[in-house]
Amino acid sequence: MIVSAEHLSKWYGHVSGLNDVTLSIPAGVTGLLGPNGAGKSTFMQLATGQLRPSAGTVRVFDEPIWGNPSQYRRVGFCPEQDAFYEHMTGRDWVAALAGLHGMEAAAAANAAAQALEAVGLLDVADRKIGGYSKGMRQRVKLAQAIVHDPQLLVLDEPLSGMDPLMRRRTISLVRQWAARGKSVIVSSHVLHEIEAMTATVVLMHNGRVVAEGDVHQIRALIDAHPHRVSIRAADARALAQRLLVDDDVSSFRFEGDVLIVETANPDSFYSRLTDVAASGEAGSIEEVSSPDDNLQAVFSYLVKQ
Amino acid sequence: MPIHDQGYRRYAGGRTSRGRAWLVIARAGIAARVRERRFLALMLVAWLLFLVRAVQLYVGTTIVRASFFAASEETFHGFLNQQRLFVFFITIYAGAGLIANDRQANALQLYLSKPITRHDYIAGKLATLAAFLFSVTWVPAMLLLALQVLFSGSLEFVSTHPRLVPAITITALLQIGVASMTMLALSSLSRSRRFAAMLYALVAIFTGAVGGVLQTATGHAGWMLLSPQNTLAVLTDALFGLSPESDIPVAIALLGIVALLGLCAIVLERRVRAVDVVA
Amino acid sequence: MTTTLLASTRRIFELALGQMLWARRSVLLALAAGAPVLLAIVTRLTLAGGTAFVQINGRRIDSEAVFGSAMSLLYLRFIVPAIGVFYGTSLIADEVEDKTITYLFTRPIPRGAIVLGKFLAYLVCATAVVLPSAAVVFMVMVPFGNMAALLGSFVRDLGVLVLGLAAYGAVFLWAGALFRRPLVGGLLFVFGFEQVAVILPGYVGRLTLAHYLQANTTSVVCLLLVTIVALWAAMLVIEHREYVLER
Repeated sequence: MIVSAEHLSKWYGHVSGLNDVTLSIPAGVTGLLGPNGAGKSTFMQLATGQLRPSAGTVRVFDEPIWGNPSQYRRVGFCPEQDAFYEHMTGRDWVAALAGLHGMEAAAAANAAAQALEAVGLLDVADRKIGGYSKGMRQRVKLAQAIVHDPQLLVLDEPLSGMDPLMRRRTISLVRQWAARGKSVIVSSHVLHEIEAMTATVVLMHNGRVVAEGDVHQIRALIDAHPHRVSIRAADARALAQRLLVDDDVSSFRFEGDVLIVETANPDSFYSRLTDVAASGEAGSIEEVSSPDDNLQAVFSYLVKQ
Repeated sequence: MPIHDQGYRRYAGGRTSRGRAWLVIARAGIAARVRERRFLALMLVAWLLFLVRAVQLYVGTTIVRASFFAASEETFHGFLNQQRLFVFFITIYAGAGLIANDRQANALQLYLSKPITRHDYIAGKLATLAAFLFSVTWVPAMLLLALQVLFSGSLEFVSTHPRLVPAITITALLQIGVASMTMLALSSLSRSRRFAAMLYALVAIFTGAVGGVLQTATGHAGWMLLSPQNTLAVLTDALFGLSPESDIPVAIALLGIVALLGLCAIVLERRVRAVDVVA
Repeated sequence: MTTTLLASTRRIFELALGQMLWARRSVLLALAAGAPVLLAIVTRLTLAGGTAFVQINGRRIDSEAVFGSAMSLLYLRFIVPAIGVFYGTSLIADEVEDKTITYLFTRPIPRGAIVLGKFLAYLVCATAVVLPSAAVVFMVMVPFGNMAALLGSFVRDLGVLVLGLAAYGAVFLWAGALFRRPLVGGLLFVFGFEQVAVILPGYVGRLTLAHYLQANTTSVVCLLLVTIVALWAAMLVIEHREYVLER
């Protein structure tokens, strides 16, 4: 495991930031998901040694991180806050931080240029950070996190403020890093972007871990909660007659020409739906979707429990 | 069962008339500061001198009717002069971040995108600081006067010193006005409240030292005008009818204060804007 | 493996030096150091013109004595402590307030290197501004013919200035690492307590740094000791303290 937390708690005075969290984050990309105040940033700051645990332990690469600066050779952190040395150019700033990893001037400059190119900032590298747009500031923050080629990247809301093209590019970067054997812990509020980066998620709420693992496995754990399927068909009522004969349908309703079915056994239901669609007995089926088969639904359900 | 509309509903309540936004800003600023225990401790310490003076007045009117303890215009003049130290520290503590913090958080855009003017914003911030300074200058001074009347059992002191109430009021207003405007202008120059505090300390302390040295070196009293504190001292001496400590004419001193306030107003006018353009 | 303390300190020093040199607040430093030069020029011109003379306690004094007074009253009692408070308190506290300290804390360097590097950058900047200012004042106020005789004591005074900047800077660097709002307390100490304590009888004056701003062995040793202890304390604080950045 890359990061392991054992009964990890953190409180700020009377306010609990993290509450008895026991968690192991494997290699690869892991998404940290939760609403504001869930404890994601607190966990990331504990995992990067910015905060000291109030109770419990957190280990990175099987070593404690608090008070252990040698770990930062292997860890890159992109914090959430929008804070920079505004008077410096992007190139100078990233190179200076690279220098703090022990790189000589030429190597630091080279690494900075590569990092800035990776995040698409090479053409504005010699502009002062104070003159950067929000998206550029976010990218230069990313650049300083990757400049020393760390094994573990901890990214706190890295896509915040980026335009859609840059979001896509960053998501692609995250996947590339994972493909090269690096581990990434990334938090975000934008659920479909977490899903685009990884299927391994940790869901947090009120300082606790609500669920962790593959998003589909998590979904499977909630089989008490019926799975909703939305089917747009030319003849929704005829389709309903064909589908409702079996026990795997718990309930149904119509919304115009859309049939909404709740099933406790989605695998069986999808199999029958495929047969009906192939036979053409109930007319044409135009669209099949499941509003439940995504992170939002999973999360909303878990949090309400 | 009636289903109530959960959607957005326009506010249908009453609205205050325009021009009172400054009060909202002031109230929020005061409430935020009053929640800090350290600041409350500083305010309490600022009232210690009032207690000492109150005891002095009591002793002077009831126990020992000696001239040493007797109240005079000098008593109130001296009290307000001594409170200048607390005015300095409270101005730095409560005033340095008034605009600097908003600039750092890019909150000016938020403020100025509401139906308030820049003048509302500045007035609100001024009122925040002025309220605290008022409570350690005019309020304790007037309370001392009230105590003097109470302890002596007659209004004779006030009637024989008719300039005292206006002198206390104008002196307090001058102290508050100069401190607040200067601090606010300096706070608007930076995103760092610490830098704003440093600038204010430079203006308040350093100018006095430099002016004093130049006066000693050249013999010209005019150098004292470099320091707002010394300039104010000329005015307060005149207001209380005391013999002046320097040769600076009152009109020149007044002009100096007006010039300083004008400069602060110009700085605020230029710096309080929703957007900063960084070249 | 962590980069060595020395190497890390050098990198932080380079980074901090660039920050300090181009920061707007360096204008403050220049103003503080430039004002005595202006005073010296005005005083010298006035004395030379015979339009006025300087009196202290009713005695006319010459320009050399004015220089001595300027050194002790302006530099040692005001400029050195003021620079120490203003800059010392901001070295770490500014990074925390600006939330940029995260970038330094997530590098493989001992946290103590941040303290040392920033302190050295402050000392270099402050010395580079204050010493030339004092030198110019010396050259303006002291007649050319008397300079050689006074050079020795002037150099000793410069040494006291540097030690004073180091001691005040280190003490308030420690305060800035420890407290969230060190500036008000620092101003109270320097312009409140110290101003009063040095004139009180007995040993009270020895509780101030101002008492040791003298060119004798005991004072030099005390200032060095204070500097080293304060820096060590600041390094301890930053190693063990967690900085919760306001959101």
